[in-house]
Amino acid sequence: MSMSELPLHGVNQEQALLTRGARRYMVELGILFRIQFSIIRDSWVWVILMASMFPFMTLMFMRFFMTNPTPDMIIRSITGNMLFGVIAMGMNGMAQEISWQKHQGHFTFYAALPISKFNFVLANLIRGLISNIPSVIILAIIGQLVYGVTFHYSWGLIPVLLLSIFSIVGIGVCLGFSSPNHQLTNMLSQVLMMVVTFLTPIMMDIHQLPKVLQWFSYIFPSTYAAEALQQILLTGWTTVVTRDALILSGFSVVCYLVINKSVSWRVNK
Amino acid sequence: MNVVFEIDHVSKVYKKGKVKANRDIHFDVLKGEVLGLLGPNGAGKSTLIQQMVAHLAPSEGEIRYEGVNVLKQPKRVAQNVAYYAQEPHTLTSLKVWEALCFTGMLRGIEKKEALRQADELLERFEMTDLRTKQLKHISGGQKRMVGIGTALIGRAPVLIFDEPTNELDPKKRRLVWDLIQERNQEGATVILVTHNVLEAEQVVDRVAVINHGRLFAIDHVSKLKQKVDQRLKFELVSEMGKSDELEHKLATWGEFVKTGENRLRLLIEKQEASRLLDFIVGNPQLPIEEYAVVPPSLEDVYFYIEKEKEHEHVGAASARG
Repeated sequence: MSMSELPLHGVNQEQALLTRGARRYMVELGILFRIQFSIIRDSWVWVILMASMFPFMTLMFMRFFMTNPTPDMIIRSITGNMLFGVIAMGMNGMAQEISWQKHQGHFTFYAALPISKFNFVLANLIRGLISNIPSVIILAIIGQLVYGVTFHYSWGLIPVLLLSIFSIVGIGVCLGFSSPNHQLTNMLSQVLMMVVTFLTPIMMDIHQLPKVLQWFSYIFPSTYAAEALQQILLTGWTTVVTRDALILSGFSVVCYLVINKSVSWRVNK
Repeated sequence: MNVVFEIDHVSKVYKKGKVKANRDIHFDVLKGEVLGLLGPNGAGKSTLIQQMVAHLAPSEGEIRYEGVNVLKQPKRVAQNVAYYAQEPHTLTSLKVWEALCFTGMLRGIEKKEALRQADELLERFEMTDLRTKQLKHISGGQKRMVGIGTALIGRAPVLIFDEPTNELDPKKRRLVWDLIQERNQEGATVILVTHNVLEAEQVVDRVAVINHGRLFAIDHVSKLKQKVDQRLKFELVSEMGKSDELEHKLATWGEFVKTGENRLRLLIEKQEASRLLDFIVGNPQLPIEEYAVVPPSLEDVYFYIEKEKEHEHVGAASARG
């Protein structure tokens, strides 16, 4: 049958329309993710390199700087730099990328299609998650080699890693979607990246920080992610890890809900 | 005839009322027609379209799609109305076939059918060899064609195109108008926003002229043409450097408008046309290279309405003053 012989969809609903429900939902999510992932498909080597470079340099700097580090300091340094990569690319990078898409009018394309906003946001989050996993693993391997330590590996590491990345990426996606203008988002996300990396307990003990910064730290998922990673890599799953995992889950859900609410792509009042 | 869209006294203001993009626009879009929205840049055409597809909420009035306010059913509108607004910047990292196929699937058709329609469109566009190229590696015109393809794939019953033929070469422009006509003949309702009045004339059934956010006129092209100056246009090309001489020799026949270095437009009464033709044929010494009689076009309608409304506007302002 040629295209001109086909009935218009909407006129004849029996055309090859996908069945509603779960299958349609999954196909939609898959397509949206593939569109998002295509943005980094060609440059994935650079994405991994960029995500690994900053933390790698900080890791080396700390290696040369610290004399006779304790196991606790070593683990903190490695996990801190693993998270630094996620903060640089997952939070800072995603915020800038989504803000750019927003101000270039890319959302108009999606808004003109009968798709779920839930799926669109989820596709962005999954892209952030997947593009950050390699650098986290690379940093973990390099960290062990540089400091000559062996981590305690367990299955629990997988959900902790995923929750850590997901909650931090969530902040970036949230910043991007709510961006009032691209320049401002660029500046804000970079300032936030430096503040979260160096003024919250990512690479140091929380008690080394002034009281104000200690309180400030509690509003960032990176604080709990750092603590959970240190614990699980040093001793395995503990009650602290359970508590942190629950908090990180909460952060992820809250981030998702905020994003879902803030993206008013279809009906702009 | 069924009504697809009802634009019910719609206004849109920005910046706390300082900018008025639309003012009390009221008309219907009928099922199966090709409606052209004409107007200069900043006239408010695109704002109106964005309100029709529920991307923008009106400040006053409402727009109904098949009887229901579009703001209450944005997903249904997206399901049935394919909107082409610009080059597909969102998809530039995708390959050409992916851009078309994915859009079709997001519009709700099966992968197999989406692939089939994508390949058929690429064949029509003569772009089959670019199937596996990424959009960022093809030309602007080709990207635009893919963008138009993303609106055509999925065969939505209503198609909205915002300046579809901008930046396209004549062959591709012709192809786009042909495709639009074909879809319309198959039953699709088409709304066209365009500056290209001369080309649009070949496909549109009715025209809505919008300027300064207001609807100036809406009617069938033939009816609008009747409103325009009914004098016939003689387009004349004089011999090089002799346009003044030609104007002087034909001055008594009607009103002259200089349209170029050696080009003149002579407006004459209809009943004088055959006498003028006889006069030109009988006077070979006239410095004329070419001549043609041209009926009123949609472009004339557009300029006529705009001029008329400007006069009304100035008149009203003077009366107030």
